Amino acid sequence: MRLPFKTVRAGIRVNLDSPERMILVQLLGQLDELLDDGLEVSQDPLAAIVGVSGRDFDPASDPEADPERPTDPALARLLPEGNRDDPEASAEYRRLTEFGLRARKRSSARLAAQALARNSPVVLSTDEALALMKALTDVRLVLGERLELRTDEDAEKLHERLWAEDGNESWLATASIYEVLTSWQEYLIAAVTKHR
Amino acid sequence: MSIAPVELEKPDSAQELARDVPWVTIVWNDPINTMSYVTYVFQSYFGYPRAKAEKLMRDVHEKGRAVVSTGSREEMERDTEAMHEFGLWATFRKDD
Repeated sequence: MRLPFKTVRAGIRVNLDSPERMILVQLLGQLDELLDDGLEVSQDPLAAIVGVSGRDFDPASDPEADPERPTDPALARLLPEGNRDDPEASAEYRRLTEFGLRARKRSSARLAAQALARNSPVVLSTDEALALMKALTDVRLVLGERLELRTDEDAEKLHERLWAEDGNESWLATASIYEVLTSWQEYLIAAVTKHR
Repeated sequence: MSIAPVELEKPDSAQELARDVPWVTIVWNDPINTMSYVTYVFQSYFGYPRAKAEKLMRDVHEKGRAVVSTGSREEMERDTEAMHEFGLWATFRKDD
């Protein structure tokens, strides 16, 4: 069996074919855009790529909401609360960390995308492999939010629902991509663990 | 940890340190991050041995959360931030 990621002496070899790598590059680019400060839009670009429109979310409907917290639930999952008991501590944490977190997440997405866009054979350095692992996690968090995966049970049922075609077309398309990314992520973790 | 400590301005931290109240970083269960990824993060960031990382991962998965580190407020904010960079759902708080 051809593993998607294989440990070699020089690093982690990517055995995905060019169209597969291009899908990743596109998704990573959209993640970068989603994390762009001040570019908070109701329809996020990742969702646009996979054909799912963002759910309506009206921050005004929740008067208790922290004004600084991202209104897009997917972005809020990427940049979550730091403290659940103390809104003041949470707001302070966000003030101190959000800028840096956005910047580091975006730089991971870019580093991984640049590496994947190289000519075959692509061999990732350790830094590039770690950047891809983090950015792939962020893409899956965004897609998982769009798929409304709220509990472990939702996640377990995803596979079943996919095979039973239980969902509308856009849900099924997003779920398929999500499943593929999960599998690639598992192979990547195995390869990185072996490389260490 | 490889990250150099960042000096943050926190008027109440001295007082808290003086009372010697430990703070904790908690990682919460989420349906998206896989067990192997969570274990990998605990091993690579905290430097925990595989067995400890797996135990913490199972606690997160089965009990819904686990305390993954203990220390000063600044340290716990830094660990929380690192967990957020890895995409884990973490919070910090004063230990009960």
